[in-house]
Amino acid sequence: MHLGDGERGVLPLVAAAHELKSPLALLRQLLLQLQSTTLRPAEKAVLIERAILTSERGLRLTSDVTKAARLEDALFTLEPINPEQLCLDIVTELQPLFAAHGKTMTVKSRRHPLLLVANRDLLRRIVVGFSDNALRYSGENTAVELQIQAFKNAGTVRLGVRDYGPALSSDMWRTLQKKLRTSPQSVHARPESSGLGLYIASQFAEVMGGRIGAVRHRDGATFYVELQASTQTSLL
Amino acid sequence: MTKVLLIEDDAWLADIERAVLKAEGYSVRHVTNGQAAMDSIDVFRPDVIILDVLLDGHTAFTLLHELRSYKDTSSVPVVLCTNLAETFPAKTLDEYGVKRVVDKTTMHPSDIVGAIRAVL
Repeated sequence: MHLGDGERGVLPLVAAAHELKSPLALLRQLLLQLQSTTLRPAEKAVLIERAILTSERGLRLTSDVTKAARLEDALFTLEPINPEQLCLDIVTELQPLFAAHGKTMTVKSRRHPLLLVANRDLLRRIVVGFSDNALRYSGENTAVELQIQAFKNAGTVRLGVRDYGPALSSDMWRTLQKKLRTSPQSVHARPESSGLGLYIASQFAEVMGGRIGAVRHRDGATFYVELQASTQTSLL
Repeated sequence: MTKVLLIEDDAWLADIERAVLKAEGYSVRHVTNGQAAMDSIDVFRPDVIILDVLLDGHTAFTLLHELRSYKDTSSVPVVLCTNLAETFPAKTLDEYGVKRVVDKTTMHPSDIVGAIRAVL
């Protein structure tokens, strides 16, 4: 399912505020819990680590919202990028977050390396966003896998984030398709999610001439970004 | 011992709430989604339910509707724990049988205990 013909426009403030509420509310609860005098040092250390990781998640979101709101005014350099190396960098960056949730993140290596054309920062933000989503929706003690796939006929490379967990129901799948196609909605109209993260990812992909999409599996889902392949193999 | 079914998809927030409830002597079962909640209700038979609104796939209101439709679960008091407290009209909550709303953005962890005491 290829998706991402999202409506361009100003990011609804309500959606952004809504998405930020979760990490901020959690951060506050972690800090309130830290005030407890009965905590052992090891318990305090866990709470502190979770507070740091939660604040980083909130900061990533604010940074993505800012970036998405200024897309039309900015110039983004497109360059040949080795997606496998980018994925390895992202795994290193997110490993503490995944470990704190008792989960792991891996990169499915390719025998023949590929290059794609992208803006490194925007591509990293898309994959980090998908990974954050996968962390939330994957089952306990599972690994999230970053996958790279070439489509030679189309001249594209797909970078996917595969999670393993409960299968998406048909209702959830339809809702997801709608979220991927439209701007984020008012939380009043649709309280379960604003779809802001997917909207931002679609905007980032579009500015690089690519698109995002999702594949439903019996045991989870893959969210992907598809971009033009590069022929500059000498960089590999 | 009072049995509390905690339905919360954020594992770290659930850890905090579970710790507070256990320290107060409650028996707590934690689930992360609506389907697991319905499965647990039959086995665990909770005295009270703490329900997060932002559940994956199976929204809190779908779950509330299901709870109200079965004779053996319709009287179990529900405390709604949400980031969106200001968006739900009191009449709607009343219709769904919600006895108490705790605002995640302003609550203290111990407020969950106060809410349970208020509804039991």
